[in-house]
Amino acid sequence: MQATVVVIGGGATGVGILRDLSMRGIKTVLVEQKDLAYGTSSRFHGLLHSGGRYAVKDAESAQECIEENTILRKVARYAVEETEGLFVRLPEDGEQFESSWVTACAKVGIPAIPITPAEANRLEPQLTRRIRSAYRVPDSAIDGFRLVWQNVMSARQYGGEVLTYTEVTAIEHVNNQVAGVKVRNTITGKTDSIACDYIVNAAGSWVGHVAHLAGVDVHVKPDRGVLVAFNHRFTSRIVNRLRPASDGDIFVPHGSITILGTTSSPAERPDDTIPRTAEVAALLKIGQPLFENIYNYRILRAFAGTRPLYSADPNAAGRSASRNFTIIDHEKDGLTGMATIVGGKLTTYRLMAEKMADRVCGKLGVDAACRTAVEPMIADASAADMAAAKRFFPAYSVNSAVSRLGAKLNEIVKVMEDNPAKRQLLCECEMVTLAEVEAMAADPTSYTLEDVRRKTRIGMGTCQGAFCGFRGVGVAVANEFIPAQEAPNFIKDFLEARWNGIRPVLWGNQLREAELMRGIYGASLNIDGAVKHENK
Amino acid sequence: MRTSDVIVIGGGLAGLTAAIAAVGRGRQVTLMTSGAGTLAIGGGTIDLLGYLENNTLVATPRAGLSLLPPEHPYSKVGSQVVEDAVQFFLTMCQEESFAYTGGLDQIQWLPTAIGTVKPSCLVPLTMDSTPIQTASQVVVVGFTRLKDYFPELISKGLGTIPGFQKEYQEIVVDPGFTGGRDVTTLDIARWLDTIQGQQVCREQLVKHMKPGSVVIIPPVLGSRPSYVVRDTLEKMLNCKFVEAVIMPTAVVGLRLRAMLLQRAKRLGVTIMEQAHVVKAVQESKRVTAVITGNVDRERSYPTKAVVLATGGFFGGGIVAEHDSIGEPIFDLPVTAPAEREEWGTRNLFADAAQPFAKIGIQVDTNLRPVNSEGQVVLENVYVAGRNLAGYDYCLEKSGNGVALVSGYKAGLNC
Repeated sequence: MQATVVVIGGGATGVGILRDLSMRGIKTVLVEQKDLAYGTSSRFHGLLHSGGRYAVKDAESAQECIEENTILRKVARYAVEETEGLFVRLPEDGEQFESSWVTACAKVGIPAIPITPAEANRLEPQLTRRIRSAYRVPDSAIDGFRLVWQNVMSARQYGGEVLTYTEVTAIEHVNNQVAGVKVRNTITGKTDSIACDYIVNAAGSWVGHVAHLAGVDVHVKPDRGVLVAFNHRFTSRIVNRLRPASDGDIFVPHGSITILGTTSSPAERPDDTIPRTAEVAALLKIGQPLFENIYNYRILRAFAGTRPLYSADPNAAGRSASRNFTIIDHEKDGLTGMATIVGGKLTTYRLMAEKMADRVCGKLGVDAACRTAVEPMIADASAADMAAAKRFFPAYSVNSAVSRLGAKLNEIVKVMEDNPAKRQLLCECEMVTLAEVEAMAADPTSYTLEDVRRKTRIGMGTCQGAFCGFRGVGVAVANEFIPAQEAPNFIKDFLEARWNGIRPVLWGNQLREAELMRGIYGASLNIDGAVKHENK
Repeated sequence: MRTSDVIVIGGGLAGLTAAIAAVGRGRQVTLMTSGAGTLAIGGGTIDLLGYLENNTLVATPRAGLSLLPPEHPYSKVGSQVVEDAVQFFLTMCQEESFAYTGGLDQIQWLPTAIGTVKPSCLVPLTMDSTPIQTASQVVVVGFTRLKDYFPELISKGLGTIPGFQKEYQEIVVDPGFTGGRDVTTLDIARWLDTIQGQQVCREQLVKHMKPGSVVIIPPVLGSRPSYVVRDTLEKMLNCKFVEAVIMPTAVVGLRLRAMLLQRAKRLGVTIMEQAHVVKAVQESKRVTAVITGNVDRERSYPTKAVVLATGGFFGGGIVAEHDSIGEPIFDLPVTAPAEREEWGTRNLFADAAQPFAKIGIQVDTNLRPVNSEGQVVLENVYVAGRNLAGYDYCLEKSGNGVALVSGYKAGLNC
């Protein structure tokens, strides 16, 4: 294979760079060791910051946030839900901080509109009545899976390519000039090499590993954050606690659920992402002052991710480390043709990609301007397409179907038109039709049911895969995406991934759901004993 | 108010079995239910014991019984009771003209919707898989718009299993339902209850049948506890039908439930539906009455004994919150690992029991609840079914087996 640029890492930053470079006419291939958005880009609270969170401590970050927030609400609007946000102060939170926060927001241009506590309670009835002051800010919810997938769909239209489950095994250079990468598909075992002029290391928490392959050092501290997803949307707006940023004081509504996050603690490995009961217990305790009924809300699952914190100061850690991003040109290490981009936050991923792409263009002598701040990721569906979609999708899920499918909407609607059986909802919780699942399962980046989940949201609702998981496997076998004897293992892998998030919250209805899930797949369908039977 | 000899709380397989066994001994029995139990979810096959705790297959259910740990409900009641319960069940089904087949000395391997086979013990005649093993050609039948059923998944999966490697063919029957909503096995079963449904089904299948064909079909051969639909279709098409184990809703379980209810009513069990028992009246170590708390008021029902068959976590017989666990009616002691993190193992499907699955009420050999010192806490309460401690039914494939055996034992003792 050959490309001008190879981007390593299929998170928001990597796909942002892929799209930006592709739009500027540069032949770019992205390689990702797992699936798109497998890492931190899906393991966060899904908050498109207004910047309020950083206003006092880090004015530069806050300014970047409000600017990018404004841009993404337009160009990425099919991944964004404009919920707006509240900052609320409780009696135990200092008044001093509030006044410096108000000043800081004004200074960087974050519109923070004061409202009365009564108004805050009217807007969000589940909120505590102990509010002392409240402000409205333009925080929004952003879907990391969708954002990444939409970047890829758009990049492909400009010739960008994506290889998932493809790990880089070597970085080749000749006379200290990058020549290409060697890669291996972790599922098929097939190896390949991609010749290129430039490599961008955007591997997030894994940048150190990638840099190491090139013989250079990048020191990143993975910092672990744990989050809890609740089964209901008990707040319509994002709720932040108006106090110096700390653990567990942001609630973010997404579709029909709410996410509470997050913690911050040093992680040993970038993939240290299995949450623990004690961490969840701590989060709930911290969250309770804002939502006093928190223990009565049904939890769906817990999850965790690692932030790639990069700091020139080796002693800075956790929240005191900078959340800004850095581009490291490895020419300083004696290697021409490679740069690492590290740090930052999802809200500023587009800006990071722009800066990185500017740098690459400069090196390659390409004169093309960035258009990602103005060109929408997904073109609006035509009125005719929307009207057609409305005939087949459940009325209240047309918009989310449009946002999932982008340019594929036409194609899917056609399938549903021709074959009524394909209109059936495969996942009732997230309203995903059979036609969509078949189309996404057929994408070359889909190897497992988890990959289909990230593209469609099947398995992310109340049943946590207990029902739709089976149907997903049925679709995969019926369409010959996987051999039938793999079915028990295929479903098992899917359910085990869900279990990682359920095990730390094993009480209430989550526990009942786990018992049902085992009842179906263990007691009824015997997927656990199936392997044993071969040795009968 | 008249005092019951026995109040059975819970209308699942354990509760119904206990009620029928007790009324058969001349007891005056009241069965209180506030839900349908899990027969409609898990199905109506009596899986007695397929695997031991390390996930090794038993040679036969009987052989497995002697290898179980002492805390297992089967070990508590003893193998003779298991044997008697099996006989009791088979006889009852025979008398209700809805015979089951199987026994403790063989494993019934049942084809499942995901293309595996699972070990069971007592199964309705429609699920006896012997015809598949002796067939030359197998036709896997699906139905248009039936959601949780993929004929290819069954044919391709079974085709890799020793004893099931046959020539498979998939056929989709279209019942012609209009309205566009999802179709369930219960819809199709009700359709096949009708002569018109049977004829449409025959017309669509007949051209695919060869001499010696066997049909694998979801559990749709009638909604009622009878073999009339199966017999009719087998006669029409001159071939054998085998129903597969599928996702909920389980029509097979609904049939068994209907049969048990019919028998319980005929024998004189008083059945109270929507009777949500909330607490009990106790005198020393005996329960003298149970109290239901429905929307309008609380009512007290005097009784001489109680069978507690309220289910486990799923049924609500055991309730766990983030910082507590308990049995909600009698506040019986429930033992669970101290650390919540230890309730589940690293993998959901491991070759080992899930600690949370073994959480439940500890009992003596007469199924009466005991405390951590092994002393009986309530002398006239008998525990049956999923709220018993000490077994992981999902791993063992022993769910309905434990419900049947413990329900039978409780019905004998109360």
